[in-house]
Amino acid sequence: MISFTPQIALGTSLLLPLIGAVLIALSDKTPNRREAVTLVTAGLLFADVLYLLVHVVNGMRPRLELWEVIPGLNLAFEIEPLGMLFATVASGLWIVNSVYSIGYMRGNQEQHQTRFYVCFAIAIASALAIAFSGNMFTLFIFYEALTLSTYPLVTHKQTDEARRGGRVYLGVLLTTSIGFLLVAIIWTWVIAGTLDFRPGGILDGVAEPAIVPVLLALYMFGTGKAALMPFHRWLPAAMVAPTPVSAFLHAVAVVKAGVFTVLKVTVYVFGIDFLSATGASQWLMWLAAATILIASLVAMTKDNLKARLAYSTISQLSYVTLGAALATSMGVIGGGMQIAMHAMGKMTLFMCAGAIYVATHKTQVSDMTGLGRVMPFTFAAFFIGALSIIGLPPMGGAWSKFMLIMAAADRDEVVIIAVLMLSSLLNVGYLMPLVVRGFFSEAPAAALGSAATFAPMRGLREAPVLCVLPLCLTALGCIALFFYAEPIYRFLETIV
Amino acid sequence: MIANVLPLSLFPALILIVGGMLIPLVPQSFRKVYMLALPVVGLLHFLSYPFGSYGEISLFDFTLSIMRVDGLSRIFSAIFFIATALNIIYAWHVRDTLQQVTSVVYPGTALGGVLAGDLITLFVFWELAAISSVFLIWAGRTERAIKASVRYLIIQVGSGVLLLGGLILYAHDTGSIAFDLMELSSFPVLLIFLAFGVKSAFPLLHNWVQDSYPESTVSGTIVLSIFTTKLAVYSLARGFAGTEQLIWIGAIMTLFPIFFAVIEDNLRRVLTYSINNQVGFMVVAIGIGTPLAINGAAGYAFCNIIFEGLLFMSMGAVLFRTGTIQASELGGIYKSMPITAFFCIIGALSIAAFPLFAGFVTKGLIIDAVSGEHMIWIWAILLFASAGVLEHAGIKIPYFAFFAHDSGKRCEEAPPGMLIAMGISAVLCIGIGVYPAPLFALLPFPMDYQPYTTAHVITQLQLLLFAILAFVVLIRVGVYPPEIRSTNLDTDWFYRKLTPAGLSVIGRGLNVARQWISASSQKRLDQFIGRLYRLHGPESTLARSWPAGHMALWIAILLGVTLILNYF
Amino acid sequence: MTDETKQTQAGEKATWLDNPKHIDYLVWALVALCVLVAGADFFYVKHPHFDVEHIRNFYGFYGFACFVFIVFAGKLLRKLVMRDEGYYDR
Repeated sequence: MISFTPQIALGTSLLLPLIGAVLIALSDKTPNRREAVTLVTAGLLFADVLYLLVHVVNGMRPRLELWEVIPGLNLAFEIEPLGMLFATVASGLWIVNSVYSIGYMRGNQEQHQTRFYVCFAIAIASALAIAFSGNMFTLFIFYEALTLSTYPLVTHKQTDEARRGGRVYLGVLLTTSIGFLLVAIIWTWVIAGTLDFRPGGILDGVAEPAIVPVLLALYMFGTGKAALMPFHRWLPAAMVAPTPVSAFLHAVAVVKAGVFTVLKVTVYVFGIDFLSATGASQWLMWLAAATILIASLVAMTKDNLKARLAYSTISQLSYVTLGAALATSMGVIGGGMQIAMHAMGKMTLFMCAGAIYVATHKTQVSDMTGLGRVMPFTFAAFFIGALSIIGLPPMGGAWSKFMLIMAAADRDEVVIIAVLMLSSLLNVGYLMPLVVRGFFSEAPAAALGSAATFAPMRGLREAPVLCVLPLCLTALGCIALFFYAEPIYRFLETIV
Repeated sequence: MIANVLPLSLFPALILIVGGMLIPLVPQSFRKVYMLALPVVGLLHFLSYPFGSYGEISLFDFTLSIMRVDGLSRIFSAIFFIATALNIIYAWHVRDTLQQVTSVVYPGTALGGVLAGDLITLFVFWELAAISSVFLIWAGRTERAIKASVRYLIIQVGSGVLLLGGLILYAHDTGSIAFDLMELSSFPVLLIFLAFGVKSAFPLLHNWVQDSYPESTVSGTIVLSIFTTKLAVYSLARGFAGTEQLIWIGAIMTLFPIFFAVIEDNLRRVLTYSINNQVGFMVVAIGIGTPLAINGAAGYAFCNIIFEGLLFMSMGAVLFRTGTIQASELGGIYKSMPITAFFCIIGALSIAAFPLFAGFVTKGLIIDAVSGEHMIWIWAILLFASAGVLEHAGIKIPYFAFFAHDSGKRCEEAPPGMLIAMGISAVLCIGIGVYPAPLFALLPFPMDYQPYTTAHVITQLQLLLFAILAFVVLIRVGVYPPEIRSTNLDTDWFYRKLTPAGLSVIGRGLNVARQWISASSQKRLDQFIGRLYRLHGPESTLARSWPAGHMALWIAILLGVTLILNYF
Repeated sequence: MTDETKQTQAGEKATWLDNPKHIDYLVWALVALCVLVAGADFFYVKHPHFDVEHIRNFYGFYGFACFVFIVFAGKLLRKLVMRDEGYYDR
């Protein structure tokens, strides 16, 4: 009998979703069993990841090497805090999202549900493999696996529009990753002779300072999933997917795999000291800042709720990239925090968008006036999620923004601080009107001071409870993250 | 003081915030009593704290101090509790859960800000006050209220992020997050100063008050009128006492709203201009910064909350009963609402600082602090502003609402809750005016001050009575401007008209540019592909032999083209 | 106060203030009070901070002038900033 070690847990965490995928495929004809498999797999996976978390918090770094492709280049996994955080967020939210998916897919009577759940499980396996990958080569393999496994999810509806969106999705992500990221990886291999993730980076002392900005550019643009402008178009295009896909993949797994890669590369390939010494990330800082503002401005012009949220995501992802580009320890911690905070907040918003769609089939913000009074839970959750995205207390989003401003202060970049401040205001501008109009429009004007109680309980028209419960949970999660930011900070502190 | 019944770890602000959140769980029949118990218990509990700092929490690399009790925070906290209780009594008839919750939670957040011992805690409550207060504007539930609320929220959150940026840079420079006296000589401190300035409605940053407050409900406007600006006044007194720039900022604040108030027809909006003007007096005193002046600022804030609140309450009652608050549509209401009219006049006499009323004993502190520093211009401006206060708050409010031309409107007297709240406020106005010693004992600094000297009383009466005489003369000769329903442009014009217009011009320009670029790049792309095809296509010469190097180039080009095609 | 056409509703008892003569009494009472407080300046010792305060009834004149100025300035301001009510909705 072999005892259960963190190393085995690491292997299990990668295998579990794949086994789940097979079992889901086998339960095609029995939806209830299929959904049970999804939920059990998600639960087991999360327990497994929590087990790993405890050990990683205690300073352990489980490592797993599979096989050597060419001498010195392994398919290898190693857990460090950043990846652990990403894995915890992803696996935890997978449970929530599975419950939501069941409510949404059944409520909407979607076709090909089995394929949907199978692909979802494979995507999770890829995301965890990215989180735990021990070198750039492994990360790249699963980065591509994630792209490919999510393509059927994006094109799930199989309409012309879905295929068009899917083409952009696949086109941008594959071309950037092969055209830039792979080149960057090969180049790194040639220069450094290794692709391992090492504290302090592998390029310091071996790379010419002059080429560092170019190499960094290849990495950053190559990581299309981070949606740095101008390679952001895949994200709005992917909004043709069913909402659970948008909620989980395009607020959590896929996009966070992107910005996670950005952080991972800056910390463990370049090393933040090397980056700040060479000043190579200066341009990236400005580009991320520009992305933050431009995407927010575009979001304001979008009436389609999911499109608006997509642009909001582009903006918020660049917070992480900005944290990396600032190349300070606080920037990396802030970026890491933003991964968790934004995942929780944006997933709430997407799930709300989906719940509104399930209950009313409305997609345009301008049509949602007054809906809050029949869907109070959904709109309240949206409000909380929006506050977190804006970065206001008492929501977790306040602290990641706090950290990033601290990082900018460490670099004396006052303009960056101004960008972050302005971004908050823009976020208010495109997120709040929906809540206000949802709750308070079309009410009798004579309600001054009397009558009209808040959200009458009669005539509720919420989405199915399996849709509403998850989004309430993540909304509460946004609040909880405000009060429990300190442990995350202490955890991330150990990497820099 | 009562004995320590509640644990000191239960912060008074939390009693209001958490207690307020629980209101929906309490059945309507007990709800009012429960609500009233919150500020009463909170105040008693608060008074059981000895001076000192409480609630040290370590957060990231900082140490927070959640609560600080000293002379300055004590007087502001005390009046916040009292005002909360008065507002609950005033809104006794309201059954809207949203308003009930907000009118307790929002004062709690402002209280948290007043008690904050460090800048991070202050920031948290600063933003919480912004978020919780906006519900009161939403509660107006009109199209105007909704539009105003988004502007309000952006400005309030803007103040919060200024504070956030300022405090982080300040902590970075000094290593300290203590919320204490700061010197206005560095950029971070300037940001914090501006954050306070937005919330206290400095000139040119003032307009959010007029824009949003009148759009709230009958009782909501009263709650709003009290806390946000006074939290800012407290913050200025804490962080910037003796900052000379404040003297002139405050003086201008007392001046310009006067002129807008003269021509404003919406009487609740007139009172919002009055808020600017009144806060101006406090800001001047904070700028002087001597113990007497700080006492003046704190004492005046205390009394202002009561009498300004009383005026807002009486106007709320008129709106509640007649359905309008436009001066042009009111008049003669004293026949229907004589008690309300009486209370309103007491509020008016107090704000105009007639002897024997609350305004007199505390405004005197400020005027004396100014003349003690021999600042003749400031002194002249404050006297001028006093005449202005008399004009819009002392005369215009009661005269046009209750007397003047009889509108023919007849209605019921205000409901009992409103009358009781106004009655208590009126008693406080007179009580403090006649016997100011208890209030003076509550002020942050010990002092020896005699409000009732012959000179004080006579000069004040001269100023006020002759100003009233001027009013009578102007009315009699018919030059006093008539009340007209209108929109009066203010600084909000810049963001409600100019900015949208500018943005739409820029937007149209960008659109044209984008079309041009995409059209021309499409053409260029076609040419490029055509050339590639001729060079490398199957019929080209290069197609006959493909060296490996070309292969790589080909792939790179193919990828690039796919990417571009996907992009457009 | 200047109002000559007091409308009282049918069956309603006219109040004391409805009588224009009573308003005149109030005005004369005000004038008397003004004279009284202005005259009071001759009967006590001042300790002024500023020279202008030595002027008898300075506060009275200043208050009167300020008030008139404010009202006329307001009329002027109206010319400058007054728009119709629906200005921002357009």
